[in-house]
Amino acid sequence: MRVETSYKAPSAFARNAPGYLFLLPWFIGFFGLTLGPAIASLYLSFTDYNLLQAPNMVGLDNYVRIATADDKFLSSMKVTLFYVVCSVPLKLAFALLVALLLNRGIRGLPVYRAIFYLPSLLGSSVAIAVLWRQIFDADGIVNTLLWYAFGINGPSWISNPDYSLYTLVILAIWQFGSPMIIFLAGLRQIPTDLYEAASLDGASKARIFFKITLPLLTPVIFFNAVVQTIDAFKAFTPAYVISSGTGGPIDSTLFYTLYLYQEAFGYFRMGYASALAWVLVIIIAIFTAFSFLSARYWVHYDD
Amino acid sequence: MLYPLLWMLSGSVKDQNEIFGTASLIPSHFDFSSYARGWFGGQVTFGSFVWNSVVIAVLSVIGNVISCSLAAYAFARLNFWGKNFWFALMLGTLMLPYHVTLIPQYILFLKLGWVKTMLPLVVPKFLAVDAFFIFLMVQFFRGIPRELDEAAMMDGCSAWRIYWRIMLPLSLPVLATAAIFSFIWTWDDFFGPLIYLSDINTYTVQLGLRSFVDSTGSSDWSSLFAMSSISLIPVFLIFLFFQRLLIDGIATAGLKR
Repeated sequence: MRVETSYKAPSAFARNAPGYLFLLPWFIGFFGLTLGPAIASLYLSFTDYNLLQAPNMVGLDNYVRIATADDKFLSSMKVTLFYVVCSVPLKLAFALLVALLLNRGIRGLPVYRAIFYLPSLLGSSVAIAVLWRQIFDADGIVNTLLWYAFGINGPSWISNPDYSLYTLVILAIWQFGSPMIIFLAGLRQIPTDLYEAASLDGASKARIFFKITLPLLTPVIFFNAVVQTIDAFKAFTPAYVISSGTGGPIDSTLFYTLYLYQEAFGYFRMGYASALAWVLVIIIAIFTAFSFLSARYWVHYDD
Repeated sequence: MLYPLLWMLSGSVKDQNEIFGTASLIPSHFDFSSYARGWFGGQVTFGSFVWNSVVIAVLSVIGNVISCSLAAYAFARLNFWGKNFWFALMLGTLMLPYHVTLIPQYILFLKLGWVKTMLPLVVPKFLAVDAFFIFLMVQFFRGIPRELDEAAMMDGCSAWRIYWRIMLPLSLPVLATAAIFSFIWTWDDFFGPLIYLSDINTYTVQLGLRSFVDSTGSSDWSSLFAMSSISLIPVFLIFLFFQRLLIDGIATAGLKR
């Protein structure tokens, strides 16, 4: 049933109101939990706030200390950069390799895809970190296998500062499932007639890979690299659980996020931790900007 | 790939000495007592952790789906002053690492008296703070033919009715993807509970598991493995039933993690 009404131009309020009403929860969240806190965090980073006394302006002191007089900042940044630089390329290489193998039309693809994806889905849960701690323990399964296979008496990986960080890198690589699935989706989009034409021309498999697959896949590689790098900078749970929250032994697994957590919630140096947070943001931003700048030299978009 | 997981699962029913002595996955005899020891062994039963996690995860799913779909509908279909500006800001929040807002948020919740309750973990989810889900839904809503809601508009349907009766029913796939990832991420979340929950009665599974690691020290591996396995069950079941949806979701949208 239609009711005829005489047309009346809607008022500005009537035109805008529904949009703003639908956005109301988002507005509250955006101003109250994102924009407001971001501004507050910038302000706090110039203070020595400790939750008990009112924030006291200290100017650039926090940043100066970070830059010149904080060994833990230096070591945690080193650990984090090492983790990022080691784990991301290896993880992507594995993801790409497995995606290429799975893309060759093998049987039971969904099963393999699932098997490779499961570890990443379980991701940053405590159970996985606990499992990892046990695997690389002094009498863990890695050393048991080393003993049986090669007669090697393995070290206590987790409590040895020379190896502890590597175990975390291995954990990150083990979870290569989600970039792999994005690679698989990217490989699907490469037109098959390109491959047919190339093989008709007698191009070798290696040539096809380097001249067709890889260039056409660069946008996906780029996307995965950016996402994984940002994620790696934010890694927290495995380092926390494996080192029981200390970042030990001898700060060898003191990830930047773990250091930030200790400063903020261990010592309640909220001002200093805010400054650390902003330094992290700037470093992530520099990394991201650098990837976007470099992208124009190696990422091919077909237009 | 799955060996570590299977090793943990088999370790949960193995004899203590057998766990590390052999690489074999098949235990010489099955001993399920570790599950009872782990479940009832602590100061609080593991069931209490599971219950807390379920409450937080379910509320987070509801909150995310409702608040993000409301915002996404406004961005995808409604016209209002400053829409592009707000949309750009929303996308901007996608790139903002949570460390920046972490400390002032903590102070805010502390002043509100919410620390040590689950409110800081749940309330933000009702305020569409996970911009990623908004973005995902906007993309999906834009794919729904405009003729549908334009026709409804002609018939005098309100924006609310269009959202409720047309957009949501047609968007079940994307709502499901958001709901599933929302559940898994909340279930796996360790950092949020670590900061906000300090009373063992409010602990989630992740926190409970960690306190279990500390309290049992290096004595009872099989019950530690048993509880670890239990903590993975919900995610594993979701994976089993929604595998396709999860993988399609990650392939098209590049979901993180």
